[in-house]
Amino acid sequence: MASIGQILLAGLSLGSVYALTALGFVLIYRATNVVNFAQGEFLMLGAYFLFTFVEGAKLNYGVAALIAFGMLGVLGLLFALGIYYPLRNRSFLPVIIATIGASIMFQNGALAIWGSSPERLRPVLEGGGSGGVTLGGVFFNYQYVIILAVTLVLMGFQYAFFEFTLLGKKTQAISQDKDMARLLGIPVTGMIALTFIYSTILGGLAGMLVAPIFFLQHNMGSIPGLKAFSASIIGGFGDVRGAIVGGLTLGVLESFGGAYISTVYKDAFAFLLVIIFLLVRPQGLFGEKVGEKA
Amino acid sequence: MRTATLKPVHWAILGGALAVALLPLLVTGRYNTNVLLLAGAWAIAALGLTVVLGYAGQISLAQASFFGIGAYAIGLGTVHYGLNWWLAFVLGLVAAVAGGIILGATTLKLGGHYLAMVTIGFQIIFSLVMTNWSAFSGGPDGITRIPRPPFFVPLNTAQRYAWFALAATLLVALAVHALRDSRLGRSMRAVRENEIAAEALGVDTLRVKVTAFAISALLGSAGGSIYASGFLYIAPDTFDFGTSVQFLAMVLVGGRESVAGSVLGAGLLTFLPEWLRELKKIYLIVYGSIIVLVIVFMPEGLWGFVTLLSRSLVRPSPVPPPRGALPMGGARPAGEPVLVIENLGKHFGGLKAVDGVSFTVRQGEVHALIGPNGSGKTTIINVISGLYAPSFGEITFLGRSVGGQRASRIARCGMTRTFQNLRLFRELTVWENVLVGAQRAGGDETAIRERAASAIEFMGLTSHVHNRAKNLPYGTQKRVEIARALSGVPELLLLDEPAAGLTQSEKDDLVEIVQQLHARGLTMLLVEHDMSLVSQLSHHITVINFGRKIAEGAPERVLAEPAVGEAYLGNREAARA
Amino acid sequence: MRRSARFLVAMVTGLAVFTASPGAAQMGGPIKIGQLLPMTGNFASSLKMQRQGAELAVEEVNKAGGVKGRMLQLVREDDKSTDPGAVQAFQKLIEDKEMVAVIGSIRSTQILAMLPTINEAQIPVMIGGTNFSLTHQGSRWVFRHRPHDGFSAQVMVKFVVEELKKNKLAIVHTSDGFGNGGRDEVVKGLKARQMEPVVIKAINTGDKDYTAVVTAVKNSGADALVTYFTSTSDLAIFATQAKQQGLLPQMTWIGSPSITTTDATKLAGDALVGTYGIGDYDPTGNPTAGAFQVAYKTKFNEDTDLFSAWTYDAVYNLATAMTRAPDLKPDSIRAGILAIKKRMGAENEYTFDERGDGLDHYYILRNEGGTWKVLKAVHVERY
Repeated sequence: MASIGQILLAGLSLGSVYALTALGFVLIYRATNVVNFAQGEFLMLGAYFLFTFVEGAKLNYGVAALIAFGMLGVLGLLFALGIYYPLRNRSFLPVIIATIGASIMFQNGALAIWGSSPERLRPVLEGGGSGGVTLGGVFFNYQYVIILAVTLVLMGFQYAFFEFTLLGKKTQAISQDKDMARLLGIPVTGMIALTFIYSTILGGLAGMLVAPIFFLQHNMGSIPGLKAFSASIIGGFGDVRGAIVGGLTLGVLESFGGAYISTVYKDAFAFLLVIIFLLVRPQGLFGEKVGEKA
Repeated sequence: MRTATLKPVHWAILGGALAVALLPLLVTGRYNTNVLLLAGAWAIAALGLTVVLGYAGQISLAQASFFGIGAYAIGLGTVHYGLNWWLAFVLGLVAAVAGGIILGATTLKLGGHYLAMVTIGFQIIFSLVMTNWSAFSGGPDGITRIPRPPFFVPLNTAQRYAWFALAATLLVALAVHALRDSRLGRSMRAVRENEIAAEALGVDTLRVKVTAFAISALLGSAGGSIYASGFLYIAPDTFDFGTSVQFLAMVLVGGRESVAGSVLGAGLLTFLPEWLRELKKIYLIVYGSIIVLVIVFMPEGLWGFVTLLSRSLVRPSPVPPPRGALPMGGARPAGEPVLVIENLGKHFGGLKAVDGVSFTVRQGEVHALIGPNGSGKTTIINVISGLYAPSFGEITFLGRSVGGQRASRIARCGMTRTFQNLRLFRELTVWENVLVGAQRAGGDETAIRERAASAIEFMGLTSHVHNRAKNLPYGTQKRVEIARALSGVPELLLLDEPAAGLTQSEKDDLVEIVQQLHARGLTMLLVEHDMSLVSQLSHHITVINFGRKIAEGAPERVLAEPAVGEAYLGNREAARA
Repeated sequence: MRRSARFLVAMVTGLAVFTASPGAAQMGGPIKIGQLLPMTGNFASSLKMQRQGAELAVEEVNKAGGVKGRMLQLVREDDKSTDPGAVQAFQKLIEDKEMVAVIGSIRSTQILAMLPTINEAQIPVMIGGTNFSLTHQGSRWVFRHRPHDGFSAQVMVKFVVEELKKNKLAIVHTSDGFGNGGRDEVVKGLKARQMEPVVIKAINTGDKDYTAVVTAVKNSGADALVTYFTSTSDLAIFATQAKQQGLLPQMTWIGSPSITTTDATKLAGDALVGTYGIGDYDPTGNPTAGAFQVAYKTKFNEDTDLFSAWTYDAVYNLATAMTRAPDLKPDSIRAGILAIKKRMGAENEYTFDERGDGLDHYYILRNEGGTWKVLKAVHVERY
């Protein structure tokens, strides 16, 4: 019984990483209709920024995190200006490729700056060295608990933001019709820049939280990035709750697949389910059935 | 005096053949020659993407898996099972096409990002199976000592194989180039531009998309087979998601709709990492930034950039002169029912857009469907033409029950239409738009072109014939839609708000066109707001309000009915207040 | 005239573009040795050590006068951590006719990919991959600088069964050439003792969660765990999670050499305390290793491990062979390498046989309080 509990928890834990990454991903998509394949790299860079200040400059965790957030914000702004802005009126495919190009640049830039040896970042709570606590035969990793908590809080915040605040409605308006939003006096360019900044910070936060568990390597972001994409698809592309539920679902599917079907085929299993799911319910869990007006 | 007996396409073939002949000679050294033949193999697979993505507009991130199927077919076939190379090659093609058809079939339900996800999933599953099913695939260590294909001359040197690979690339490039302006190619591009319009014009969009995927899988496999024998060794991690992304990058950097662009993109992205080796650690950073820069500054890819420069130098091929009058359907006695709507209903969840409407459109008449905004007129047209399935009721077209059938089938029975919100194939020229419409009636390419030419002349579009639809003024665009609908020998033409947005003089032209069409016996169902147009043109009016018919009959009578006035102006009490 | 003219322009442009690729510069004087390194890609983690080991050796050899008065020069190429990358890098290196030998790679799957090209090029290649078949495919040109996995499995099984007295073994391995090979050899070794593993689990490189594997091993009733992990960071995550979920430190664990590397200790810390490992290198293993460790630490301020040791030894073995050989032709160098008998390197004593295997030893180590101590050195019968 403890085994099943551990496997479920592992699924939820991993899923919350995907969910957190997917949040930033979905946010960019909601505001700009851009599918950002570099989101995983924001995760990686956030981890490395934090690492530089915690292990390198030996700063206090909180202070280091704030500095890292600042750097991530600048990165987000540069990304918006360099990748998004020139392509803002083009179809989604060139943008995807451009974000992939950016992803290659980021990964190899990190390789050049921090080198290729994997690095260790200490967790937020050492928990007596083990990093967690065992309850009922099931080990709870404090770092994962923190990730899950942060994810849920952010989900609540983001959901409330979009549904209940004027700023949130304006952001939605921008994603649906930029020109109209502009005509209504909404500062489109500025808000889009803010969206990118926030999403980059969000992605980086995911990296900072996950780094003690995954260890730092230049390629640590690519798989979470891809899975975040899958998670948002399951959840219904563009829906905040969907990103969370999608991420958790994917993590749990993977975990149980690995335990009961095959440890090496678990990713294949998860993707197969995603495909079947899409064929049965193309709009995802929370997406709306959008009929095109003919 | 004949200026040239060689047509331009012959020059292209010559030039290509020249390049194929010279390149392996100019590129020296085993290493460089290897990169060259690899570029050829990649290019063939990239051309597959040109078909499915460039032409048909469907996103595929699974091309590496088809490349892998071709490679493994050769690897497993020749090394593990001792088959003849060419037999293994064909088996690979068959397997790949099967996979392509499966992927293509998913487009029935999915498009855009969701389709991308399915292709990604397919790709990842392929990678994982090939890596881990060691008993079948040789596992992560791959397959070594792959032989070269038996050929007229032994292909045992890198240089000879490079010739083989490049010749194959040229053949595939020419074939894909020829596909573009063929009937299938045009249909693919129409699907890409506006799938709904293509469907409504009789293009079986599902079949077109599946075919596009099948072709791209076929070419991916061919490229993979050539790669396997070029490299002599294959391992599963070559055929992973990252490689699929590479293919996509090649096509986009090169210029996605053009054959030359894909070849150029493939070559460049194969050679570029090798040229950048000197930069050692930072070369991938440079590589990534080059991709970004090309995408940002050259929207149509490198090749598009090149053609931008040369566009002023080239003149398009001439349109054939029309032969005879525009052919039209309608070979039946006047007054016979063409379209019978019985108790038609369409509900969207709780919204009853159409709620029990019945009317009949008879041969030779111009039947108008009018009603205030939101009354359900356009919904009725959409249900009739097959874009929506009816919730209940009967639709009988030329004696056949067509309710709930796919729009392309209904279109092929003789029904064509225009759209309220204009659904032109924007990147296609006027000529190409009308050609797609003309395809609906079948026949060979000559017949299609003649019909299209007639329709263009009829609608007075001859001077615009080679302009892209998106560049035309609004009124002209509306005429193109009508020409497109007319060129397929229609039995019934549905006009959805044809006068919307037109100037008065354009409206006068429209009236004349409709009258001429009527004079030729074309049956028309017209949805319109403009009352003067309606009273000038129609013989029979059906009035719709809140999804129901509230009046029907000859124009003078119907337009005088109080119920109709109320519907448009609100009830009398409110009007006075 | 439209599209076809552009076609023509494309072909001409293409010709011009492709033939402009830069060629190799000509040099004289120094003896060029090529080195394949994973500068980019998924296995770049061992880049630094492999590069630095060779660099140190070249520096020492040159300081002592080089080879017959000529200095050694390393020419490095990126193998991108992929098989095609390795083959292309190798081909790029041998384009330079002055290249006398190549060092690399450490990954068996890349070496397998390169074998046909190596055999055609007929140039000595120093390899670090441990898959058994690399020296048993009939190639005359590969010279292995680490003991192969046929030996490693033998040693581990023998130690676990005979000395630690365990008989219910669990196997966890990476699903790749190296891991699958190791698994097969362990199964073979157990079979020879009429035994079978109680559970076998494979993992993919880059997996971040090993709960399923840890759970399976816990539930299998195993009393010992044998692992073949290719990636050190995978091993570290596994170790950490195994400790957290109660599998360690109770479970007796002996792992393939990645467990003894400095990176593993850096990442997994005290999760590895009490575990066993076999290693082909230890800084206390022999005097040459000791001197190597001192010199390396002085120059790079880092500790040595198998990644730096094998390339260090490769350079020295090449230098020795070239000094002994009458000229630098491939066959002469080959003969010089094969003439190396009982030469003590940082790894251990090298004696090259006809197939190209140079080593037949293993150290059995134990992690005691965070440092790896050699329990014993074992020599195996070659086969």
